Amino acid sequence: MSSAMDRGVSEVEPRRFRGLSARGAFIAVVAPAAAGVASIPLARNGPAAAIALFLLAIVIAAVAGGLWAGLLAAVLSSIALPFLYGAPRFRLRFDGTEEILTGLVFLTVALVVGILVGGAAEERARAGRREREARLLGHLSSRFVSGDVPDRVLDDFVRVLLEPFGLVSAEVLVEVDGTQMNARAEQPGLTPGGPDTVVPLVVGPVSFGTLRVERPAGRRPLGPHEQLLLEAASKQAAAALDRARLDARARLAQLDAETNQLRAAMFSSVTHDFRTPLASIKAGVTSLLDRSVEHEPDQERELLTTILEETDRLNRLVGNILDLARIRAGALIPTRHEAGLDEIAEVVVARLAPRLDDVAVVLDIDEIVPSVAVDEMQLDQVMTNLLENAARHSPVGGEVHLSIAAAKDRVEVRVCDSGPGVPDEERERIFEAFYRGESIPDSPGTGLGLAIANAIVTAHGGRIWVEETPGGGATFAFEIPVHVLQPPEREASA
Amino acid sequence: MTRVLVVDDEPQIRRALRTSLEAHGYEVATVGTGEEGVVGAAEQAPDLVLLDLGLPDIDGTEVIRRVRAFSEVPVIVLSVREAQSDKVAALDAGADDYVTKPFGMEELLARARAAMRRKQPDASTEPLLRFDGLEVDLPKRLVTLDGDQVKLTPTEYGLLEALVTNPGKLLTHQWLLRKVWGQGYGTETTYLRTYVRTLRKKLGDDAQAPALIVTEPGVGYRWVAETTA
Repeated sequence: MSSAMDRGVSEVEPRRFRGLSARGAFIAVVAPAAAGVASIPLARNGPAAAIALFLLAIVIAAVAGGLWAGLLAAVLSSIALPFLYGAPRFRLRFDGTEEILTGLVFLTVALVVGILVGGAAEERARAGRREREARLLGHLSSRFVSGDVPDRVLDDFVRVLLEPFGLVSAEVLVEVDGTQMNARAEQPGLTPGGPDTVVPLVVGPVSFGTLRVERPAGRRPLGPHEQLLLEAASKQAAAALDRARLDARARLAQLDAETNQLRAAMFSSVTHDFRTPLASIKAGVTSLLDRSVEHEPDQERELLTTILEETDRLNRLVGNILDLARIRAGALIPTRHEAGLDEIAEVVVARLAPRLDDVAVVLDIDEIVPSVAVDEMQLDQVMTNLLENAARHSPVGGEVHLSIAAAKDRVEVRVCDSGPGVPDEERERIFEAFYRGESIPDSPGTGLGLAIANAIVTAHGGRIWVEETPGGGATFAFEIPVHVLQPPEREASA
Repeated sequence: MTRVLVVDDEPQIRRALRTSLEAHGYEVATVGTGEEGVVGAAEQAPDLVLLDLGLPDIDGTEVIRRVRAFSEVPVIVLSVREAQSDKVAALDAGADDYVTKPFGMEELLARARAAMRRKQPDASTEPLLRFDGLEVDLPKRLVTLDGDQVKLTPTEYGLLEALVTNPGKLLTHQWLLRKVWGQGYGTETTYLRTYVRTLRKKLGDDAQAPALIVTEPGVGYRWVAETTA
């Protein structure tokens, strides 16, 4: 009874009435004896007080020592009472019906109290057992729905079983979709070699494998109730494996669908987006090369301007496609240097402003912008993409605001336009590759700019999102965490 | 006549550059490898080298290092957008500037002119430099803007001096930090950024339409103003 092994769920079938323990016997003897001694000073007033004291002793013995202690106390009390109060005092005598009746009452009291106490003990044990079972199954089910890696779930599963079942070891061996997995846990300090039990891990018709548990050497095998509980736990484990398996399949299928969709979108986008500028360039150049026509200087200039613009467009497209390929290949690794987002913004605006002649770009930069560790080319790309996107969706003559603000541990960049804005339901999808807003199907972008911005910001440990510009329009914002902050030393003006 | 050596392994680029440069009155020689480039720089003594970084035989940065062993000829690097760290390495090895492929001829010619101007004798030895309203008196360490004295801290002046005495050259962060702050510096770009910002403000230059100092993010700064009489 002393080992930790026998506590817990293994105490599943407590005998309803414990045998007479040494402690019980001791109480059964001492309690009536104490009652007898206590009653002596009251003896001249008749046996009533003594009877009450003996009854008390019997109840105490039954409660503290169990049924058998109660009965023993009752027998001892029946003998002691007439010995103390019988007509010739201090002499055993069993001839009176009175004594027999007293003895019977004592025995009945002991029996009733003992049975009640035994029942209560069993009820208590059962409640404790139910609580432990609930805790075990609850723990397992919470682990199993956590969506954790099956490997780790199995490790946890076998470890959790050890103590409640009093096991020296527990081991699962399963196969999920062709992948074999096993997990084993052992309780140190116990001798293996005891009785073992094997439970299958089954969900409906699908069998994943087996669970084998072993009790320490010399211990009794698991009882039927424990076996049932173990099976319930194994069912949960099997269900979790099944769920993980289906999840993985669903994810694969989804990935597959996305890849196909992306490939199709890329194909149509690349063909269209590459051929359009190429067509303009070729048309312009062949026209200029054609000696049979005489071009006016104005016409020539216009053709050349078109060629230049289309070349730039192609160049941007190639850059975007390259970036996207890097993202897909997991090769978009920033080469980080200490840099100022304010400087990058200024350069981007200086470069873009002449090209974005339909909108005015307003730059708003905090007095002090802490340095961030970034890949300047990539951040240049992010701001370029966001500004171009904002300009594309702005009304002619509108304003695009680019603001840079320092917060405690990050720098936030916001690009606000006064265009039609982004509907709530598109705010997540808008950062996907080749996604063009459904509300503006003919948007001239490549559908890559925001996806690339998203990938770059994420690769820098930052966050990008879109919200509504107060007063209408879309605000694309991103933040980059600040790693090093070195305030330059102050010096006085000469 | 000004001689230009073009080192690029792409025949199309060589042809386009030759045609455009000759149209602008330059004498052009073209080679396709780094080795030929080093030899050409030695034998032809060109006034300018246009060097592609992605050469088939030796690394463009290595070409610059070898050329710098015997010549101070201005070198402008031609490179693709992605090769940012190569550009910095090439500049640190002694290149004067870079242009990103694909580039416009106008931009390339402007850089070329600036680089060659710097190499002319007495370009940086002139004691008083005048850029429209801005005057920098090098011996007196005095700066005036439209006649008013501009109060600069010693560091700000050191930075300005480093820029104006290397007009048109793209000065890397590392070079500027070592030149102005001292040898122990090289990575403290936040200092540099803050001082450039203050300097711009004091000199009345607009970062969004710079007339004096142009920022090359992640690389460095370039003084673009031309001296006026």
